[in-house]
Amino acid sequence: MANVSVAAEWQLLYNRYYRKPELYPLRWKNIDLSRNKVACAPFGGPIAVIRDDSKIVQLYSESALRKLRIFTSSGVLISDTVWKNPGGRLIGMSWTEDQTLICIVQDGTVYRYNIHAELIEPNVTLGKECFEQNVVECIFWGNGVVCLTEGGLLFCIPDFKVMRPCQLAETGTEDLPNCMAVIEPKYTVSGNVEVLVGVGDGILIVDEDGVQRVDGEAVQGPVQKMVVSWDGKYLAIFTHDGRILVTDINFKGVLLEYNCEADENLRLIQSSLPEAVEACIDAAGHEFDVSRQRTLLRAASYGQAFCSTKLDTCHCSATDNLQITFQRDRIQEMCKTLRVLNAVRDPEIGIPLSINQYKLLTPSVLIARLINAHRHLLALRISEYVGMNQEVVIMHWACSKITASLAIPDATLLEILLDKLKLCRGISYAAVAAHADKNGRRKLAAMLVEHEPRSSKQVPLLLSIGEEDTALMKATESGDTDLVYLVLFHIWQKRPPLEFFGMIQARPLPRDLFISYARCLLWFWWPSSYYGHLFDNGGQNEAFIKCYKHEFLKDFFLSTGQLQEVAFLLWKESWELGKNPMASKGSPLHGPRIKLIDKAQHLFAETKEHTFESKAAEEHAKLLRIQHELEVSTKQAIFVDSSISDTIRTCIVLGNHRAAMKVKTEFKVSEKRWYWLKVFALATIRDWEALEKFSKEKRPPIGYRPFVEACIDADEKGEALKYIPKLADLRERAEAYARIGMAKEAADAASQAKDGELLGRLKLTFAQNAAASSLFDTLRDRLSFQGVS
Amino acid sequence: MAQIPNLDNSPLNLKSLREQSQKDLVKILKDIRGKKCLVIEPKLGGSLSLIIQTSLLKEYGIELRHLSAEPVQTDCTKVVYLVPSQRDLMKSISSHVHDDISKGLQREYYIYFVPRREIQCERILEEEKVHHLITIGEYPLYIVPVDEDILSFELDLAYKQCQVDGDTGSLWHIAKAIHKLESTFGVIPNVRAKGKASVLVSDILDRMHTEEPMNSSDMALSEINTLILIDREVDMVTPMCSQLTYEGLLDEFLRINNGSVELDSSIMGVQQEGKKMKVPLNSSDKLFKEIRDLNFEVVVQVLRQKATSMKQDYTEMTTTNQTVSELKDFVKKLNSLPEMTRHINLAQHLSTFTSKPSFLAKLDMEHTIIEASSYDMRELLHSYGFEHMATLNNLEKAGLLKKQESKSNWLTVKRALQLVVEDTDTANPNDIAYVFSGYAPLSIRLVQHAVRSGWRAMEEILKLLPGPHTETKRLGFASSPSFATLQGASNGLDKIADGRRCLVLVVFVGGVTFAEIAALRFLSAQEGMAYDLIIGTTKMVNGHSLVETFFETIG
Repeated sequence: MANVSVAAEWQLLYNRYYRKPELYPLRWKNIDLSRNKVACAPFGGPIAVIRDDSKIVQLYSESALRKLRIFTSSGVLISDTVWKNPGGRLIGMSWTEDQTLICIVQDGTVYRYNIHAELIEPNVTLGKECFEQNVVECIFWGNGVVCLTEGGLLFCIPDFKVMRPCQLAETGTEDLPNCMAVIEPKYTVSGNVEVLVGVGDGILIVDEDGVQRVDGEAVQGPVQKMVVSWDGKYLAIFTHDGRILVTDINFKGVLLEYNCEADENLRLIQSSLPEAVEACIDAAGHEFDVSRQRTLLRAASYGQAFCSTKLDTCHCSATDNLQITFQRDRIQEMCKTLRVLNAVRDPEIGIPLSINQYKLLTPSVLIARLINAHRHLLALRISEYVGMNQEVVIMHWACSKITASLAIPDATLLEILLDKLKLCRGISYAAVAAHADKNGRRKLAAMLVEHEPRSSKQVPLLLSIGEEDTALMKATESGDTDLVYLVLFHIWQKRPPLEFFGMIQARPLPRDLFISYARCLLWFWWPSSYYGHLFDNGGQNEAFIKCYKHEFLKDFFLSTGQLQEVAFLLWKESWELGKNPMASKGSPLHGPRIKLIDKAQHLFAETKEHTFESKAAEEHAKLLRIQHELEVSTKQAIFVDSSISDTIRTCIVLGNHRAAMKVKTEFKVSEKRWYWLKVFALATIRDWEALEKFSKEKRPPIGYRPFVEACIDADEKGEALKYIPKLADLRERAEAYARIGMAKEAADAASQAKDGELLGRLKLTFAQNAAASSLFDTLRDRLSFQGVS
Repeated sequence: MAQIPNLDNSPLNLKSLREQSQKDLVKILKDIRGKKCLVIEPKLGGSLSLIIQTSLLKEYGIELRHLSAEPVQTDCTKVVYLVPSQRDLMKSISSHVHDDISKGLQREYYIYFVPRREIQCERILEEEKVHHLITIGEYPLYIVPVDEDILSFELDLAYKQCQVDGDTGSLWHIAKAIHKLESTFGVIPNVRAKGKASVLVSDILDRMHTEEPMNSSDMALSEINTLILIDREVDMVTPMCSQLTYEGLLDEFLRINNGSVELDSSIMGVQQEGKKMKVPLNSSDKLFKEIRDLNFEVVVQVLRQKATSMKQDYTEMTTTNQTVSELKDFVKKLNSLPEMTRHINLAQHLSTFTSKPSFLAKLDMEHTIIEASSYDMRELLHSYGFEHMATLNNLEKAGLLKKQESKSNWLTVKRALQLVVEDTDTANPNDIAYVFSGYAPLSIRLVQHAVRSGWRAMEEILKLLPGPHTETKRLGFASSPSFATLQGASNGLDKIADGRRCLVLVVFVGGVTFAEIAALRFLSAQEGMAYDLIIGTTKMVNGHSLVETFFETIG
């Protein structure tokens, strides 16, 4: 391409050169812009076109129905749809940052379309007041809009992502404004939208809270048009007398008044090689023409090579080297970027991004836009090329594929999907399956979720597609009890009890977890003194819920034939009854309690393996009866719920030996235990006389040691002395003497026992006592002497 | 006297682990703006005392409370609960909220579940109709470093829940904890498990690797060479024996809790009548590190020697002329005086228990019981009351009680593994049996064999013990964990090239005692042992605390 033509494209405007290259001859046919409303998305985005219904136009060979058509920047039709929305004329139309088309009609209804011309539900309305007065003008910015009504009211949607309309303060003027401009929320101090309204001879600043008039030399007389700069810092004003003023957004002085005088001082560039290389690379980036890009990059590469040879011959410094690698990297980087840009600029794709736009947009947003436009293959290639995770692309592709493939049988579609999904490790099969389910393809969903390795994702989805059995199995396999509970609660709520029981019965982990949980409910739903205060009003209701849960667990055990577990529950109930202070008022408790235990006993008796439990329950019931009788006869409520041993002890302490004996015989308490209990009970009440008598009844089956212990524990050495001589074991006797401080007797016994080790130990005990100490030494010496002889 | 142990000498960088947990907690507290009342479940509070100093918490505008059934008394409008995921606690919290509502108090509630939120808890909050009033979060504290070689998962109830309730949630937690360690220290290539629960943990761990594969780069630097998982079920005898090491005895009589014991200050020679004080017990205390694992008999001798030598030094000091450097040495020794005093006091206190005839009788009995025994369950009910029926039922399910005596393999195992060692010299031990004065703990014998030669050499004996056993090798391919044998790697453990000893992580599923840890440290200190050992446990236990978890009265 001749240099002349390149230079000729550039035009001087003020102190900068600009050019306006034609990127595409638009491929659409019969689109007359003057007959249409048009909305172009920035950053090479799509173009929406619809016949302007505010103009009277002649219809050619076309339908009277209006069509909303969406084209790429190169004029290739993406989609179209018939416009039949109610609400009056279309007033404003614009694209949001995420490429949603916003259409606002007269009555304030906001319709939203995606780039496939599909209406996004639900529609939003700007509000009742807006509905009553027609919308006459809309001013859009990146992600919001301000609408003006016939009545001069201003309404605003500050953020299309949230879609929450609000009304701005009333301007209070009767005239409709000449012009308006918006300062985006991100550039205002308050963080709220501010609207500049050119009305009458001045400008008003309106926001949600109030109206403010602009003072300043800049505005003198009516304003015809206003524009806020892209960075929200400056305002350009076109005045009634044909001047253009640029002011600071705070109206602090006019920065520029355009008078068309050019700055002729062109800077002459002193070319030096590295800078030239840089410039070539940069220029290539900004160039849209592929062959020119190539020329520029080749020039850069050539120059860079020359740079390095030149430097190689000299003593090249570290910084020089660094610069060379830096330049090399930049050329490579630029090639990469341009490949991406050229790919999306292709007329078929039609996204003519400039390099700066691409950098602002970021590759990930570009990829998101491509997949939104169903350009999956290109998106995949680009994400692979720029080294990004392909998961997003493949996931979107898989979901779109499912939506678009209603006619393909499940098995075939599964193959197609798996073939691509396997490209990306760690991709969520569960998410794809969820999409399949949403599209009414439950079977496909089930097949897909089978491939999900993460149980935490797999199990919830299995539940949502009704595969409860599989969900329970997978949750159990995972070993994660939280997942098992998730499934349990789900099934518990959805299925009739018997079906639920049937599902968990043969599965140990779910079954045990259910039992553990149900037990805890039972445990807590019983009112206790502490929780009582919470349920003062709802006691009745509370008891009902509790009962139900309890019965639920019982039902489970009955349905699985675990009678002994039911028996245990009954037994527990009887205890709870005893502990419940509310229930103890009025009727005697032992009746119902014993009945429950009896019932438990019968259930235990049903199986051979539980004869021990059955016997224990029987004894427990018997004990309760006896204890109740004892409480009646002694008029002391201290027996119920103590153990058999304690009952005997209490009887003896109270001096009721006959009752003690009766308990002993009833429960066949062994002689040994009887002796232990009685000895210590008598020592407790310090009835030494009775103790001595007891020791003489017959030779105690437990020996005399407990007698000694009981006396020593009570610090009655004299009493202990009565029994120590009767200790048969000499070592025991020696130790007992030692414990009450009788060194000589201890020594004698120990030497009789011929136990040197014992003597040594006893000596330690008497370490403080010199006399005793030497006594032990003598004895031990004698003992060892004997040992030697 | 810091209760938080100094982890500088740890074979793994446990400090970073602890710092991460500190950061996580501080972040949670910082993110909730303004003054707030932090309500901590008491046991969790104990665990946290090993992570962060309470004084540090107060810097974030926090009023500290322990969770109880009583309503929270505070002026703060924000109440933050920090609790383990336990159903029973949900009732207390719900009742607090209801209580506030009835009093017309408007508060913001937060629950941070440790280590993660669980649906069974949230379900109760829903049933109590308070779920929507509470902001729920997680504090992922899976591991608490108790000392430089001990990691606790703080699962006191793990053994009971697995054995009695069939609730294996704790096993998932253990696997997750190990998985987390692996994400920091590399994937552990060798895994050996014995016992039902251990094998389950190993399975879940494998599953986690399939679900969330680690990068191959993580596989390369694996700081831990082998993981040995031992199920408490395999050896319930050892925890039931009285521990005879210094630390073990302290635990038996005074109960070590989160690395410290609480006792009357008078015992420690501090004259504050009736006041309790906490004495930290960890390896930051040099003297304790030296004597903790010795048989208590020996500890008394060591302390006496040290005291005598110090007294001698002192006499020399006062009677002869000393050079400055000698003076310096002496002062250095003096620095250890507080530690000396501390342990002499403790040892003295311990000997009041050990000298009792009842203690000696108990030891006698234990040594006989190591044979076999039978209980009369009816007698137990008669003495302790019928409400203990449920306890008996639990103990039976846990295999601690047997209604019918089945033929026991104990004698065969005892002989094959040489569990009873005659002539143990407790002062100069040559076998782990010194920790129980003649009984070598079965669990540690298993570890000893597993470390030395793997399970293969002892298949026959393993079969006699409860539960299955597995041995797996994991390849460094992230795509699919494969269990084929590593090419060129020998069966035993290999020494890491740079001369450091390689590391074995021994995890006790269901708890471990101090005596067992002493035995492990003894093994690790042996010449010719090429491995450092680090211990993971669901909780530090002893016979009492283990049996206590089974207590459940019907009433």
